[in-house]
Amino acid sequence: MTLTVWAYSESGQVASEVAAAAQSLAGTGKGDAVEVMVGAMSDAGPRLPNALVLRGMSASENTPESTAEAICRATSKGMPSVILVGSTRNGREVAARVAARLGTGCISDASKLTLEGESLIGERSAFAGKVTAKVVAPIPCVATVKVGTYPAAGKTTANSVSEMDVGGFSPKVKVLKTIRKDARSVNLNSAKIIVSAGRGVKKKEDLAIVESLAKSLGGAVGCSRPLSSDLGWLPEEHHIGLTGVTVKPELYLAVGISGQLQHIAGMKDSKVVAAINTDKDAPIFQAADYGIVGDLYQVIPAIEEIVRRRS
Amino acid sequence: MPLFLEEHRQLLSFNYPGRGDLVEALESVAGFLEDKVMPMATKFDQHAAKIEETRKELLRQGVCQMPFPKELEGLGLPFGAYALAIELTGAADAGIALSIAIHNTAAEGILQFGSEGQKRKYVPDIVAGRKVASFALTEPTSGSDAKAMGTKAARDGEGFVLNGSKAFITNAGEADVYFVFAATPKGPSSFIVEGSNPGLSFGEDLPKLGMRGSRTSEVRFSDCRVPAESLVGEEGMGFEYAKKMLNGSRIVMGSLCVGIAQAAFEKSIEYARSRKAFGSAISEFQLIREKVADMKTGITAGRLLCLHAARVRESGADFGSEAAQAKVFSTEMSLRVCDSAIQVFGGYGYTTDDVHRHWRDARLLTIGEGTSEVLRMLIARRELARSL
Amino acid sequence: MKIAVCIKHAVDESELKMDPGGSPMITGAAGKMGTFDKNAVEEAVRLKSSGGGDVTIFTVGPADARKSMKEGLAMGGDRGVLVTADPVRIDSLSVAGLLAKAVQRDGSFDLIICSEGSSDVYTGQVPPMLAELLGFAYFGYAKKLEVSGSRIRVERSLEESVEVVEAPLPAVVSVVSEINEPRYPTLIQIMQAAKKPLEEVPPSALGVETAPKVVVRSMSGQGSNRKKVMLDGTPEEAAAKLVDALRAEGVIPR
Repeated sequence: MTLTVWAYSESGQVASEVAAAAQSLAGTGKGDAVEVMVGAMSDAGPRLPNALVLRGMSASENTPESTAEAICRATSKGMPSVILVGSTRNGREVAARVAARLGTGCISDASKLTLEGESLIGERSAFAGKVTAKVVAPIPCVATVKVGTYPAAGKTTANSVSEMDVGGFSPKVKVLKTIRKDARSVNLNSAKIIVSAGRGVKKKEDLAIVESLAKSLGGAVGCSRPLSSDLGWLPEEHHIGLTGVTVKPELYLAVGISGQLQHIAGMKDSKVVAAINTDKDAPIFQAADYGIVGDLYQVIPAIEEIVRRRS
Repeated sequence: MPLFLEEHRQLLSFNYPGRGDLVEALESVAGFLEDKVMPMATKFDQHAAKIEETRKELLRQGVCQMPFPKELEGLGLPFGAYALAIELTGAADAGIALSIAIHNTAAEGILQFGSEGQKRKYVPDIVAGRKVASFALTEPTSGSDAKAMGTKAARDGEGFVLNGSKAFITNAGEADVYFVFAATPKGPSSFIVEGSNPGLSFGEDLPKLGMRGSRTSEVRFSDCRVPAESLVGEEGMGFEYAKKMLNGSRIVMGSLCVGIAQAAFEKSIEYARSRKAFGSAISEFQLIREKVADMKTGITAGRLLCLHAARVRESGADFGSEAAQAKVFSTEMSLRVCDSAIQVFGGYGYTTDDVHRHWRDARLLTIGEGTSEVLRMLIARRELARSL
Repeated sequence: MKIAVCIKHAVDESELKMDPGGSPMITGAAGKMGTFDKNAVEEAVRLKSSGGGDVTIFTVGPADARKSMKEGLAMGGDRGVLVTADPVRIDSLSVAGLLAKAVQRDGSFDLIICSEGSSDVYTGQVPPMLAELLGFAYFGYAKKLEVSGSRIRVERSLEESVEVVEAPLPAVVSVVSEINEPRYPTLIQIMQAAKKPLEEVPPSALGVETAPKVVVRSMSGQGSNRKKVMLDGTPEEAAAKLVDALRAEGVIPR
C-alpha cells in the first residue's frame, strides 16, 4: 500500500503549514501528500500538487461537525495512511471526531512528525510545557499539527485535482452568528515584540504604561490569564498561555507576570525573554534571559525614555 | 510550597483513626491557603494590601467553624484538627492566622461562659465569618498581671457604663464584636461590646515588628453604655474566664508558631540546596546540615506538643500546663528556626522581607497570650504543687 | 435537567518532578482535579441552581481519583461515578469509550459538560470523541451557555471570532476557563460530600475492553536554557542595562 497523507485546515495560514507537514511526511515515506478542501477549492490553494475537493456540503455550513462527516465519507473510497489537521480550536474537533468515527488513534498538537514502519510518531508538549513526549500511533491514524511549527507551503500548480461528491448533510449544530474579534488584537502570532502584562499592574488604567512601551518598541500587547479572564481588562485574544495563544516573538517582555507554568507554556519558545517583577523569587525569572527585580511603574517608563531618547 | 505534608496526614491518622474526612478538610484548607493567602503574605507584611477581603474568604471556608458544635454552625471537629488548620494558616501568613485565632478565642469565650441567648446571637455569626470578633484583655499598664485592671464597668440602671482602655488589641477597629474585660465592684467581669457602640474608639494601627497583616491598636471606652444582657456569665468571674480562654488560645498560638517555623524551614532547605559556595551547594556542609536537623526536630517536637495539649483538652481534663508547655516550646523554637533561616540565607536573609518576616512574626508570640516567663511560672507552679 | 460532568484526576503539573535522567516521574506523582475541569463542574452547578436538576460527575481514573471526585461533589455535584482505569495507560478514545458507556448506563442525560482539556496532557480529544460516540450535538470552547427548554445556545470562543451556535439537547459541551470562576468548596460542603454516593465501576462491568492505539514512547523534561541574567541598580540603571542587552541580542532596533 502506498503511503497517502491528507492535509486539512479550515484556516488559510494553518492550511499552508499542515500542507508542509504532509509533504515532509509523504516525502520521507515516498508517498503522496493530498490537500483536502471541503466545499470548494480555496483561493489560496492548492498548496500541494495533489488536491481533493469534497463537494456536496455547502461551504457556508462548514462547521467542524460537517467537515468531519465529509472527511469520514471520503475515506470510504480509500483510506489514507495519515490525516493531518491543523490544530486550531475547530481543527481539534474535526480530528477527534474523525478518529472516533474511524476508530483510529489521534495525536494532538504534534510537531516533528515522522514515520517509523507502520507507525506515526509525533512530539508534543505536556504538563504545561514541562515535558516533551514522543507519542506513537499505528497507521492509519489522525494527528493535529501544532500551529506555527512547520514553515508555510506556498501556492502551487496542481498536478491533479480530484473532486468527490460526499452528499448532503444536516448538522445538529446551527451557526446563528459569527462575531469577528477585534482585528487589532489578534496579531500576537506575527508580532516580533510582545510586551505582556500581569497582575503586577494594579489598575486597568495603568495598562496604558505597558501599551505605551509596546507602541514605542513597535510591538503588541499580551497578558497573563488573570488580566483577561478574571479581571477582563483585556480581550481574551491577548491571553498568552496554555489555554490562550502560543507565541514565539523575537522579544517577549513580561511585566508584572509571576510566571505560572500555564503562562510559560504559551511563551517559552520566544527567542529572548525579559522579565520585570517586584518579587525576586517569581518563577518568571527562571524562564527569562534578563530579569529586573523592580517596580514596573518605575522601570517601564525608564525603558521607554531610553528607547525614545536613542531613536 | 505545599502546606499539607505527609507528617500532617500521619498525625491525623494516628490520632483520629478512621477520620479520613479530617485529612480532606485540612487538604482543602491547605489548597485555599496556597492559592489565596500565601501569594498575599509579603503584600500584607509590607502594608501593600489589607487582609479584610482575604480574611473574609478564609472565614467563609470554615476554618473557624472547625472546633465549634454543629448546633451553633460549627463543624464539630476535634480541637487538634483546628490547631493543625491554624498551623497551616500560620505557614501561609502569620498575621491573618493571628487575626482569625483571636477572633475565634472570643467565640470560644461566648460558647463557654455565655448565656444561651448570647451563644445563639453571636457564635454562629463569628465562626461562619459573618462577623469579625476581637478579645480585649491587656491594658496599657497591665499585661500579664491581668488582675490590676483599670477598665471599669459601673452599674447604670439596667446596664453598665464602661470606661478605660485596652492595649495591643488584635482586630481592633475592624471587629463587629469585642469580648471585653472590665472591673465591676465585684471584680473583673466580661462583656460583649458591639463594634458599632458609640462609646468605643480606637487608636492608630501600631507600627508592629511583625504580624503586620493584622490590625493592632488601643481600644478606648468612654462612657460606653452596654445593656445588662451584654454581661457574660457571672459578674466578678472575668479573670477565671480569661484564664480558661487563654489556655485554649495558647495551644493555637503554639500551632501558629509551628506553621511559621515550617515556612521558614522550607525556604531554608530550598535555598541551601541551590546556593553554591566553595564549589558545592551549601546544603553539603555539615554546619548547615546541623541547622537543618535542629530546625526540623524542633518543628516536629513543637507540632507534637501542641497536638498533645489539644488531645488533653479534647479529653476534658485540665490542660493548662500542657497548653503552656506547647506555647513556650513552640514559640521559642519558632524564633530559633526563623533565626537559623536568616543565617542560612546570609545577607539575603537579613535583607529579604520574605525571609526575615517569619522571624518578625514569630517574635510576638513569646510575649502575647502569656509571656514565656509567666507560662514557665504556671508550669512550674503546677509541678511543685503536686502532692508527693 | 440531568447534567453530567466529566472530569480528570490530572497529574499536578506544578509538583511534577524529574528523575536524574531528566524524565518526569509520572508514577506516584501528586494528582488533583484538572484545573479547567473545575470550570466544568462550576458551570454544571450553576445551571443546576438556576434551572434545577441534578449533576453526576464521571471520571476515568485510578483509585486516587476519588479525591478529585469528592472535590467535585463538594462543589455541588450530587453523585459520582468513577470508572477505575488508569488513564496514563489508555488513550483518549478509550477514555471517551468508557465515559460513553458509563453515561449511557446511567440513563438519559440532557447535557454533558467537559473542560477544553486536561491541565496535564491537554489534548482536548475526549469531549468531541464522547459526542461522536454518543451521537450528541457538540460545542467546543464554550464561553457562555444558555439552556432554554430543549435547546441549548452557546457562544464558542474561537481564535479570531466568537460563534453563536444552537442545537437541540442532548449535547456535549467543552468550556473554556473564562466561562466562570470556580468556587472553593467550604469545609461544610466537604464534610457533606463525604456522604454523597460515589460509585466505583470497573471497565469490565461496562463491557468495554480498552485497547489503546496511541501510546507514549518516551518523555523528557524541557530544561530551561535561558540566560537568567539579573540586572540590578536603580530603575533607570537597570532599564539602561536591559535596553543595551536587548540591542546586543538584536531583538530591538538600535
